[in-house]
Amino acid sequence: MDNNPVTETLPDSSNAEDNEPNVEMPSHTDESLPAILSSAPATPKADNKTPKITVVLCPVGGAPIMRQRKWEVDCTQTIGFIASFIRKKLTLQKSDSLFFYVNQSFAPSLDQSVQNLFDCFGSDGKLILAYCRTQAWG
Amino acid sequence: MAEDREILREIWEGRLPVCFTLATEEVSTPIAPDPFYLMVPRLTYFPLVTDKVRRHFVRCVVPEKHDNEMWLEFEKCPLKWHYPIGLLYDLLVTNSELPWQLTVHFDKYPDNKLLKCPSKDVVESHLMHSLKEADALKHKNHIMALMQERDHKQLWLGLLHDRFDQFWSANRKLMEHSAEDGFRYIPFRLYAPQFTSKPFMQYLVKSIENEKRLTLEDLLQRANLNFESKGPFQVVIHGIDLPLETPLQWISEHLSYPDNFLHLCIRYSSP
Repeated sequence: MDNNPVTETLPDSSNAEDNEPNVEMPSHTDESLPAILSSAPATPKADNKTPKITVVLCPVGGAPIMRQRKWEVDCTQTIGFIASFIRKKLTLQKSDSLFFYVNQSFAPSLDQSVQNLFDCFGSDGKLILAYCRTQAWG
Repeated sequence: MAEDREILREIWEGRLPVCFTLATEEVSTPIAPDPFYLMVPRLTYFPLVTDKVRRHFVRCVVPEKHDNEMWLEFEKCPLKWHYPIGLLYDLLVTNSELPWQLTVHFDKYPDNKLLKCPSKDVVESHLMHSLKEADALKHKNHIMALMQERDHKQLWLGLLHDRFDQFWSANRKLMEHSAEDGFRYIPFRLYAPQFTSKPFMQYLVKSIENEKRLTLEDLLQRANLNFESKGPFQVVIHGIDLPLETPLQWISEHLSYPDNFLHLCIRYSSP
């Protein structure tokens, strides 16, 4: 693929997903996930459950589609955690590239937290993350 | 803004003296290499200024490690290369001792704590995406999207080669706003490790709300944390203790790092 920016817009997520149930993303996708990308070490499980954030994963630029697009993610998790989750789901190799975009404009850092992105760029109670296998918005 | 241009230059010229020492366990020569001293710009990133450090030390480690990625450590804490140097100093150094004593490593890259940085291209990409994120907050990403590739390069090359005029020729476009409105939201990251396990907090704060110019104090209030509960504190950026009544719009225009974010550290005076 070349480096030309992909001009395609995000698929309309309003229809299909309204009926789609939210599925909780398991809190461990990969035991070898580096600490920088996983949530803070879990303190012994107290009564306070970690709040969840609804994340909608949208393939762009011909990225493989996942059957389930709407996920409930611990607000303390990072983009890197979601990346490793998608890699596992799509059985990507380590050498395969995977990019994330927010707002069809920027790629967040892998150690950025889902909560921060939701607070700044979430809408209608969810955070939409576009993912692709080649660079989309430069 | 014109009368405050001197401030932009003062901030740009902020430097920190650093003393780099090779980790003792990695020295493979009979005599340990001398420490390496460098004045580094606060606004830049370590991978952009440490080529000389690498050349100085690499000859003293075993040949198998010559091509390894170099990493730095301060008091057992690996330094995140994707944080600007001034932020790392404000965040980690509590006794303000200078020169800043850092340990250089070529072995055992802590990839559980640091992102990989195989080349300066990775730093460029990190800077560009941070600029886009900041612009998304300030102007709905309109300015970065309308800028030409040439302007993006000015921003990167200006920082890389430490050229104030080159960087600001493009950056001033990102700082534009209508006189009465200010930025839509202020791009900032608040580092308060005493309160949260997250590396930093980021949320939406406007520049002007209900015709009131918001201040640093308003920004802190919206974190919903009781900062006073742990004693008197400072909000530090570029080593400066910022007065809480400073208007956010002014801080954002004058004290943002090159990525257009304000990296604000909450600091308590040591007991």
